[in-house]
Amino acid sequence: MDSTTALAADAQLIRAIQGGDERALSQLYRLHWPMVSHFVLQNSGTEDDARDVYQEGVMVFYEKVREGSLELSCQIKTYLYAVCRRLWLKRLTTKSRLHGVRLLDDDDYGPYLNTGAEDDLHEAEERDRRFATMSEALTHLGEPCRSLLEGFYLLDKSMQDLTAEHGYTNADTAKTQKYKCLTRLKKLFFASYKEA
Amino acid sequence: MQTEADYYALFEAYQRGELAAGARADLEARLSTDPRLHQRYTEFEELTSTLRAYGERRRTRQMLGGLHEAMLAADEAPAAEEKQADGLSYSVNPRLSISRTERRLREFWSGHRATMGVAASVAVLAVFCTLLGLQAWQNAHVPTIRNYTMLVRQIDNLKKNQRALSNALNQQVPTAPAERPSKYSGTGFALTADGYLVTSAHVITGVDAKKADSLLVEGRDHKRYYAETVYADRAHDLAILRIKDKDFKTFGKLPYTFKAGQADLGERVYTLGYPREDVVYGEGALSARSGFGGDTAFYQVSIPLNPGNSGGPLLDAQGNLIGVVSGRQDDVLGAAFATKSSYLVRLVDSLKNKQPVQPYHLPRTNQLTGAARPQQLKRLQDFVFVVKVYE
Repeated sequence: MDSTTALAADAQLIRAIQGGDERALSQLYRLHWPMVSHFVLQNSGTEDDARDVYQEGVMVFYEKVREGSLELSCQIKTYLYAVCRRLWLKRLTTKSRLHGVRLLDDDDYGPYLNTGAEDDLHEAEERDRRFATMSEALTHLGEPCRSLLEGFYLLDKSMQDLTAEHGYTNADTAKTQKYKCLTRLKKLFFASYKEA
Repeated sequence: MQTEADYYALFEAYQRGELAAGARADLEARLSTDPRLHQRYTEFEELTSTLRAYGERRRTRQMLGGLHEAMLAADEAPAAEEKQADGLSYSVNPRLSISRTERRLREFWSGHRATMGVAASVAVLAVFCTLLGLQAWQNAHVPTIRNYTMLVRQIDNLKKNQRALSNALNQQVPTAPAERPSKYSGTGFALTADGYLVTSAHVITGVDAKKADSLLVEGRDHKRYYAETVYADRAHDLAILRIKDKDFKTFGKLPYTFKAGQADLGERVYTLGYPREDVVYGEGALSARSGFGGDTAFYQVSIPLNPGNSGGPLLDAQGNLIGVVSGRQDDVLGAAFATKSSYLVRLVDSLKNKQPVQPYHLPRTNQLTGAARPQQLKRLQDFVFVVKVYE
């Protein structure tokens, strides 16, 4: 497959994924897994490490695609390789506390240095930090606020369902309770997010 | 006074578009004028959107996890299908089932094989270096007998080198006024007044080997005579020449005599020679009564000598000729060698017995004794010649 047809196929795949086609994502996922797993195994990682890194890498890609903000200057393959490579390097460095970790690269998937993956990763890291803070804030929030907010915002349940689930007398009471919970969450979230 | 929760209800209704047109316009106006309210709204929006995105992220993660599981399951599936399709109780290409320990080992191997390879190579290299090093060290220390033989061979080599060097270097000395450059040149001096000369045998090697076609003797006044070899004694590096020009009469009376005995250690000695186009004086002391490698036919003298000095006369302070300059040793400082004059005298005696064409009349009176060195040299230099060999 030469690069133009590969790029065309990539573009088609991205359109499908953006449209919410889960089969397209599944296809993509399978296509590039051997490359990443081989890379991680080559560089003193295990199968589980490879899985984590690949999931993380595909996540970055997927979220960018869904947002519609992915600017791909190379093949998906190269982009994924660059992202996963960076992620694995980071893990290795924290794991081994070695500063000069050198990776064995597959030359087939270069040039991975100018894919724009670095910027996307920084963005993703920032988002990860935000989600981690949110998760922590939710834990600190305590019941029943936590399940109420999770139910409404994370699981997309309707107010009626939540009223019944939590035993409120009517939907208005549940709503008032939700807003109170939100104010508390706001304090928790911004306190730790801003200070970090 | 509204509480924060009330504001949130308001914001949520606004986001969902549930507010009446009037209330909506009112809120938008307040948002644009009241910065505190605006900030509150921004925070609310950030909080809810983060919550929603977090939910989305959790769903995505779950989905990707599912994809991974599905992929692994799909990889396993074909093997099972194969099994069924063939109707065999075992598969034709059996999948390698590996135990947990073995998988760990394989992972370890695939992860660390480069490192292990390097380590193994270093180990092998170190072993070989140690072995070879030890052997070399032992060889260098154990056998004294072998050292001895090597030393002898070395001396042999040196001896050859010494001779060869003086030959080779002689080749490089050019003679400016000659029509064609001479191949070799050395120094020679008069043996008798009637045309016999002495020089080193190695100067005229080419003549003996019939390679050289002419032998020229040139004095300080640039007068040239053709000469021929009368006798060459290779072992003692001596040669006797005779001038064969018809118009040659005589050198005149020789000022020096030939010493038949041995000279003493430490005697001041000097020589005249033609290492270049002009005659050059060299002075030193007799530093040993044996020559290279203990050869008793030679003296060792501490005169700085150069190629071209070969065959020059070596005289003591009284003007007795005590030797003929022969060569030098390059790896020892200030070690030059000269054939003892006693060998020259013996050679002349033996030639006399063989009924020479013309008798040898060795000089009997020494005119140099007692004269100052410059006076000695003034007399002497007319009897020292350049010997040139042409091919």
